[in-house]
Amino acid sequence: MSDAGKCPKTEALSALVDDELVGSVRHALDAHVAGCAICASLLAELRQLRTTFTALPDVAPGVDFASLVDRRIAAAAVVPKTEPKLRPQSWYWWPVAPAAFGGVLSLSVGAYLGSALMLGTQVAEQPAALQMAAFTAIPPGALCPGLQVCNATGR
Amino acid sequence: MLASDGRDEDWVRCAQAGDRKAFSELVRRHQDHVYRYLLRMLGSHDDALELTQDAFVKAWQALPQWQPEAQFRTWLFRIANNAALDALRRRKLVEFVPLEDSFDAPSSEPDPEHQAQATQEVRQLEASLKKLRPEHREILLLREVEEMSYEEIGRVLSLSEGTVKSRLARARVALIEIHARSGP
Repeated sequence: MSDAGKCPKTEALSALVDDELVGSVRHALDAHVAGCAICASLLAELRQLRTTFTALPDVAPGVDFASLVDRRIAAAAVVPKTEPKLRPQSWYWWPVAPAAFGGVLSLSVGAYLGSALMLGTQVAEQPAALQMAAFTAIPPGALCPGLQVCNATGR
Repeated sequence: MLASDGRDEDWVRCAQAGDRKAFSELVRRHQDHVYRYLLRMLGSHDDALELTQDAFVKAWQALPQWQPEAQFRTWLFRIANNAALDALRRRKLVEFVPLEDSFDAPSSEPDPEHQAQATQEVRQLEASLKKLRPEHREILLLREVEEMSYEEIGRVLSLSEGTVKSRLARARVALIEIHARSGP
């Protein structure tokens, strides 16, 4: 009697062909297959496949690879690759320390020079503003042209 | 000096110390299996010859990484399988493109009488195998031809035993379907 709804997965039948199932699992599967035409048919196909594989003709290279490989190893002086040993942490860092110090120094000097330049620009801007104030539309002496002028002249 | 019937692991230890003769002994022990596997994976005698040599040279280079817990055979097959997949990728044959219809390999029993006796089923199986996807072909060859256990296959292909079980079942079903489509 077949009950496809309770049929095992194909991988269980495949494992059965490989003798990879033991104990109660195997007994239960054997019992199911004995009463299920669908599983019995698939199991027969899987077993037939195994049988056909055993009939595959053997193939031999007809070559002695040992001498070929040995010649390649000798010709290329190939030696087994060894794992590189990890260097101590301190050894790793000290060679880059001068470069790091140089980098930090360069940045510091750059920042200092940049800020000095900015300060110089601010100082130079103030007289220019004062000079431009004399050419505004307001005639000199009529009104105070700007707060800076008053401050600059002390009025 | 080790006995010629000694365990692989003893020969590997000697080879790890730089003994090339010990490594040659390992090559002789496994060369036919590696070649046969690569031939059926690649479908070309010339490619199999070249890659078998490459696999052994890589194995020699990688000997320091070999651990006594690992079987030399499965470790070697892992190297050979990676070489085969790399070669298939290079040839852009990983997906869908079937291999040549017949291997151009010399048989260990090449007499015409024997070839005439080869059954139709075996010829169909060989043809169907070449149409399988590489991931199915590799697992079937390791199981059916190299007769590896699920655990050994898992080590070669870096798969859990559960995955080996399910992939093997899918590979078998795929092969049966290809076989059925090609007809008697």
